[in-house]
Amino acid sequence: MTEALEAPVGVGARRLDRAAVSWLILGAGVIGLQLLFAGRTFPAIWDTLISGPIDQFEAWGRSNRLTHPLFTGFFQPVTDVINWGLTAIEESLLWLPWFVLPVAVFAIIARNGNWRSGVVAGLAMVYPGLVGLWEPTIETLALMGVSVLITVAIGVPLGVLAAFRFRFEQGMRPLLDAMQTIPAPVYFIPMLLFFGIGKVPAAVATVIYALPPVVRLTALGINKVPVAAVEASRVFGSTNRQTLVKVQAPMALPTIMTGVNQTIMMALGIVVLATLLAAGGLGQEVMDTLRLRRPGRGVAAGLAIVAVAMVLDRVSRSLAERDRSKQIDKRWVLGGLAVLGGLVVFGRATGAVAFPTVWGVRILDPLDAIVVWARDNLSFITRPLNDFVVADVLLPVRDFLLLSVAWPVLIFVTAWLAWKWKGMGLAIFSAVSLLVVGFIGMWELSIITLVQVIAAVLVSVAIAVPIGVWAGRRPKVEKALGPILDGLQTIPSFVYIIPVVMLFTIGQVPGLIASVLYAIVPGIRITALGIRQVPNESIEASQTFGATPRQTMLGVRIPLAAPTIMLGINQVIMMVLAMVIIAGLVGGGGLGFETVNAVVRNETGLGFEVGLAIVVMAMILDRITQSWAERLQPPATP
Amino acid sequence: MVAARTFQAVDWYITEMSDNGSAAPVCLQIDQVWKIFGNRPERALTMAESGSTRADILKATGCTVGVRDVSFDVMRGETFVVMGLSGSGKSTLIRCASRLNEVTKGRVLLDGDDLTAMSEDELREVRRHKMSMVFQHFGLFPHRRVIDNAAYGLEVRGVDKGERIERAMEVLEVVGLKGWENHYPQQLSGGMQQRVGLARALTVDPEILFFDEPFSALDPLIRRDMQDELIRLQETLQRTIVFITHDFAEAIKLGDRIAIMKDGAFDQVGTAAEMITNPQTDYVREFTKDIPKTKVLTAASVLMDGDSTAATHRVHLEDTIESVLPHLLSDLSPVGVDDVEGTAVGIVDRQAVAHVLEAEE
Ligand SMILES: Nc1ncnc2c1ncn2[C@@H]1O[C@H](COP(=O)(O)OP(=O)(O)OP(=O)(O)O)[C@@H](O)[C@H]1O
Ligand SMILES: [Mg+2]
Repeated sequence: MTEALEAPVGVGARRLDRAAVSWLILGAGVIGLQLLFAGRTFPAIWDTLISGPIDQFEAWGRSNRLTHPLFTGFFQPVTDVINWGLTAIEESLLWLPWFVLPVAVFAIIARNGNWRSGVVAGLAMVYPGLVGLWEPTIETLALMGVSVLITVAIGVPLGVLAAFRFRFEQGMRPLLDAMQTIPAPVYFIPMLLFFGIGKVPAAVATVIYALPPVVRLTALGINKVPVAAVEASRVFGSTNRQTLVKVQAPMALPTIMTGVNQTIMMALGIVVLATLLAAGGLGQEVMDTLRLRRPGRGVAAGLAIVAVAMVLDRVSRSLAERDRSKQIDKRWVLGGLAVLGGLVVFGRATGAVAFPTVWGVRILDPLDAIVVWARDNLSFITRPLNDFVVADVLLPVRDFLLLSVAWPVLIFVTAWLAWKWKGMGLAIFSAVSLLVVGFIGMWELSIITLVQVIAAVLVSVAIAVPIGVWAGRRPKVEKALGPILDGLQTIPSFVYIIPVVMLFTIGQVPGLIASVLYAIVPGIRITALGIRQVPNESIEASQTFGATPRQTMLGVRIPLAAPTIMLGINQVIMMVLAMVIIAGLVGGGGLGFETVNAVVRNETGLGFEVGLAIVVMAMILDRITQSWAERLQPPATP
Repeated sequence: MVAARTFQAVDWYITEMSDNGSAAPVCLQIDQVWKIFGNRPERALTMAESGSTRADILKATGCTVGVRDVSFDVMRGETFVVMGLSGSGKSTLIRCASRLNEVTKGRVLLDGDDLTAMSEDELREVRRHKMSMVFQHFGLFPHRRVIDNAAYGLEVRGVDKGERIERAMEVLEVVGLKGWENHYPQQLSGGMQQRVGLARALTVDPEILFFDEPFSALDPLIRRDMQDELIRLQETLQRTIVFITHDFAEAIKLGDRIAIMKDGAFDQVGTAAEMITNPQTDYVREFTKDIPKTKVLTAASVLMDGDSTAATHRVHLEDTIESVLPHLLSDLSPVGVDDVEGTAVGIVDRQAVAHVLEAEE
């Protein structure tokens, strides 16, 4: 009896010692490194380690593009095929009379009886035409179409393979994880090397970026098929192929379609950013209007992106819907196709093919004026806010981290956190990769970006967590917020920048505000989920002891929801980082701005270095916050 | 020991059947089958063969002994029921018999062909033509209509559409699902879903049917319906059936012979009456305890020699004691017993009945 009682005490004491020692290590390390390195900047000793060879390779590529088999035998054919697909889709969409597309969107969605949703999506499909953006919209849709087709053609077989080959899945997983943490613009950089700029590199970047969900969800869908169904199929003597084609694939289809939906939304997100690669389309339209100081047109173009996002989301969801009881008669399908065919014939015959100019300049000029007016009249708030954030927050913090704190201290603290929350492996990885980032000369840019991320994350968390807690406790609030959050989540990240740029012009602050707006959505969602998932019994147990609502909240609800909330914060951080990088497009500074510079000025070597720094930052932030969330998990009951 | 007992039972059965003049060749033969789950089956096997218990083996090797040296034969047309508590290895056994699980040691012979030695292709052929299975949780294909579920076995066999649909329709009618063929499984009740499972298994016209607790997920009334349905079907179809259950009442109702399984091995194999009158282990006794004996035991199990010509009441050998009792109670004299042909074979008296009923109380 006594033995049993003593043992845990002993363990506890040892644990206490370990905690004390680890804090001692931290203190000693910080003070020692600070004393040793104070005032020294990070020596960029490997300045050309990466950029040198890359630039050389690019120069070599440029002069051998027409002759070397690497280009003539691989990249050129790939380019040709993609180009052919792009042109084919774009031309056939433009060949169709314009009204066929909205009617088709309506018909697809309404076929399951979702009339209202069908009407809304059909009208949304008309909107871009109304503001004179029909052709860029078709351009964007064609780029999306090709990219998504290729992504699905690659992703589904990979997913199937992952479902059947455990080893392969094991190998893929870290790669897919990493891919999902890397901000979109980073994918453009290697494209420069092999494809230059234009639509084809945009499509390839999109394929790579949008691949993970379709692979993941295909594998998940197939693994989720009940064992009994698979065994039933085997017992009747099916070959593996028959089982896959007749049982596993059809049963996994809804999940695969969810993956395709996610892939489509991700593809749209990056396709509009591909304005960086001069890929044209709606993104280009937005950037041009911003540059031409016609903010009203920018808003109109941004809304066109939102409309396209909504249409794509609804259509792909509707196609994914597999409610057997709602299935419609073949005759209706044929009838619908006949009507569409009739519309095509009618349109081509009467020559009503191109979208008619409806409002044209008449509405766009006043729109510009309204936005400019709003900007000027709000500047009494926006200007001081901007100045305050830059001069009193971002700059001082940046200087503190860059000048006052010696750089080894930051690396040491990061490694210590990684060690404490996860283990030696992550600590070594963090330290080494940060050292590399510094040695290749990316330290200062990384710190600038880090400061932006920290500021935006703090604000986002301060907004998202309270709202999430509130929504989690009040089902009504959550229900009311649901559709708004759904809608916000389908909007491509790039669009968030538009309204803030309108009001603040360019600089760091619009990027930060956009980051906050973009990141609070998942923050609220996941926090609410965490709060809602707290078991009712725990709450009632607390109440029967006479706890006040406040005590129950702080003592039971929040601690039990903490791991989930922490995962939400992890999401917030990753989304903020993605947006801070994208904000480079509007002069956000730091790594993002440098990415844009590298792509626009065709400095591919520099691009790779910046990209590496971004990837390192993304992975470290992700791993450390995730391990923190894991540590908050109460120990599993044996 | 167990194996020896099993063979005795088989011998008895063969004699019994040949006495009746209908020789029943063996359909399925399970020959000293072992199944061990885990990474080190060899060590576990050595330990098990030298008599270690399941728990010890698990502790020492991390392996679970699923089936432990089981042997039995199933005759053509016979319904063989395996019963036991949860975790006793029933599913593992039936899955070894259909080779959904690879056996660790031993052989499974179907019509004399060794399933365990077959290549994938040979096995597939056997599965396509000779066996089918009904699952506890139905294992239906939710994306296929009832008719396409039922036709699945023929479809993978390559039978063309018209023919397989026709055949599936016939079977659906037999199991009482006529009119439901265009519905999807989710639109049906649990009992009807299992009828689909049954139809799917019957459509391929298999020689042997494996049932893994097919009715356990159904509520009692529907379960009884399904049991009656199966008995009715079996009267005309005369298939070979291996049926798993954990419900002794179900075992008695359906089984020609019953095997009671514990910790992966057979405790006893025999008819329901044998189990009740002569349980060989406490485990078997525990199972049979709550069964009303009057409903299971027949006049045959209390038959005594004697002259029955004087008896006022006459019963058949197969009649249950429950139906004999009223005669015994209404009249002090013994009841006369006839066999199927109507020849007098002996008598049953009050004492004999009282004796078996009290035997193990
Ligand atoms: N694939 C497997 N891997 C490891 N162990 C298994 C596996 N399948 C079954 N077992 C183990 O084998 C033993 C027998 O399991 P089995 O499923 O055959 O029992 P059962 O008698 O069918 O029980 P139930 O009535 O619950 O279906 C159990 O201890 C189980 O944990
Ligand atoms: Mg089982």
